[in-house]
Amino acid sequence: MTPLEILAAAVTGAPAPRIPVFCNLLDQGARELGLSQRDYYARGERVAEGQLRMMRRYGYDNVWSLFYVGKEAELLGCREILFNDTGTPNVADFVIRDWDDIPRLEIPPDITAHPAWAETATCLDILRREVGATHPICAYVTASTTLPVLLMGMEKWLELLLSGPAGLRDELLAKCAELTRQELAAYRAAGANVLVYSTPFGSTRFVGHKRFQTFSMPWMKRDLEGVPRAGLVYYCGMTDFNDVIPQVMDELGITVHYLGPGADLAQAKAMIGGRGLTCGVLDDIQLIHWTPRETREQVRRMCQTGMPGGHFLFGTGVMPMAIPEANIRAMLDAAFEFGRYEGPP
Amino acid sequence: MPHVDLPAIIQAYNDAVFDTDKDQAFQIVDAALAQGLCPEDVVFKVVIPAVEDMMSRITQDPDANLAQHFMTAQIAAEVTEKMLPLFRAPPERIGRAVIGTASGDLHSLGKRIVMGCLKSLMVDVTDLGVNVPAERFVDEAVRLDARVIAISAMMVHTATGEQGSLRVRQLLRERGLEERIRIVVGGAPYRYDPELYRQVGADAWAPDGVSAGKVIADLVRGRPPTP
Repeated sequence: MTPLEILAAAVTGAPAPRIPVFCNLLDQGARELGLSQRDYYARGERVAEGQLRMMRRYGYDNVWSLFYVGKEAELLGCREILFNDTGTPNVADFVIRDWDDIPRLEIPPDITAHPAWAETATCLDILRREVGATHPICAYVTASTTLPVLLMGMEKWLELLLSGPAGLRDELLAKCAELTRQELAAYRAAGANVLVYSTPFGSTRFVGHKRFQTFSMPWMKRDLEGVPRAGLVYYCGMTDFNDVIPQVMDELGITVHYLGPGADLAQAKAMIGGRGLTCGVLDDIQLIHWTPRETREQVRRMCQTGMPGGHFLFGTGVMPMAIPEANIRAMLDAAFEFGRYEGPP
Repeated sequence: MPHVDLPAIIQAYNDAVFDTDKDQAFQIVDAALAQGLCPEDVVFKVVIPAVEDMMSRITQDPDANLAQHFMTAQIAAEVTEKMLPLFRAPPERIGRAVIGTASGDLHSLGKRIVMGCLKSLMVDVTDLGVNVPAERFVDEAVRLDARVIAISAMMVHTATGEQGSLRVRQLLRERGLEERIRIVVGGAPYRYDPELYRQVGADAWAPDGVSAGKVIADLVRGRPPTP
């Protein structure tokens, strides 16, 4: 079976020889090509090449079309990204510097015609051509409730959200929701078949239950109006969200859940069961210091907890560049070894 | 003098903070002042205990969340700033800390939460901003006679990078300042790996901004931190 078929089997519960094994070695692509991050991320063909090389070197199942999260801010006018050759790029130029900028913020009528989309399109075109028939191609789309963080910083966004004028907040969110919907459609049309809907404010660890119901859920529904749910993945940016999984499944219709590394995997699996896919996520920051033996044991435990009954995927979180290669190999070797199904799941 | 129902004020204020309702918190403070509670008691008997109450709630309540951390610090800082000019005598300050985000890191939220808490805890705090070079952390700490350098890092490479806490430790060692100035770190990578603070040369860490205020205040006083 191809990795794409193995993923489909995991979602539906059909027989498969093993679980899907996902990994995200994003910034490592620059190192692989011997380029600075600034140069690497400047061209879509370089990102595609980096992703293909990382996938082929380590043998995991997926590729990413994600450059860096701040790329979405570039679609709305961000002009400066702080690159660092040892880690993840940061947004260094906030499009919204004060609340007066919100009414002036314009969402491009067609993001695929925007210059900031061009390299993403190039990357996706190559990935689709090279592995689109056999491998999952992942895209990353930020929810409307989180996008303002990239546009104005977390501090200013929390000020507006928690104690600012509701009308202005909703005006900003309506614009962000428009971008989110456009991105989801554009990525799907360009060949991405796994759409990671990143919604940290969709976790009660960010906003609490009351605000989740009155704020997060209504805006997530708006983000996803008219959006097909196939391939859509609920992800809260390394934060746990077990307590809202049933509601997300029932009200948003998203059945694939990419958990936080600290989540109670058994509990999440029990809630999702055969209705969708539980994506267990290793606490990969600890991979920096674990020994290969410790790494292997952690992966074994995750597989042991998540695999019974099928509908399980092994995944990673942020995969810092400081992780030693030996631990990346130990992790993936263990995921393929312990992720095998000897009989029916 | 009208009767002051301090337990009821504390309960109402704590509930407002827990509900992240800043307007309500200020209404309660105004009503308390109108009842006759003095500004000193507002800060020392209501605001500071509320910060400490939030620290314990954060660790015990499964619904504790980032919005509460943020608003706890905001409300505490704003109420304290409003009350201080009304004090009969300037309050005794505990000491000073400098705070900033690590070199290469532009995430300022954690820093702001910590600063809000420190202000209410009577710690003078100087904000060095974001993307702060290690040399500036040390130079400013010396210039301002700060007892603590607080370094916030939200990404692994800024938490563990050679220009962050590791470099600050090296500079303190080279300049013979290790006994005088302590390093406290905080941010997401430390939550995922609670031993990480030792590996980057810090003296202490805290899992959230509200707790960090207490850890820093303890170190400024010269006490071992009690997160």
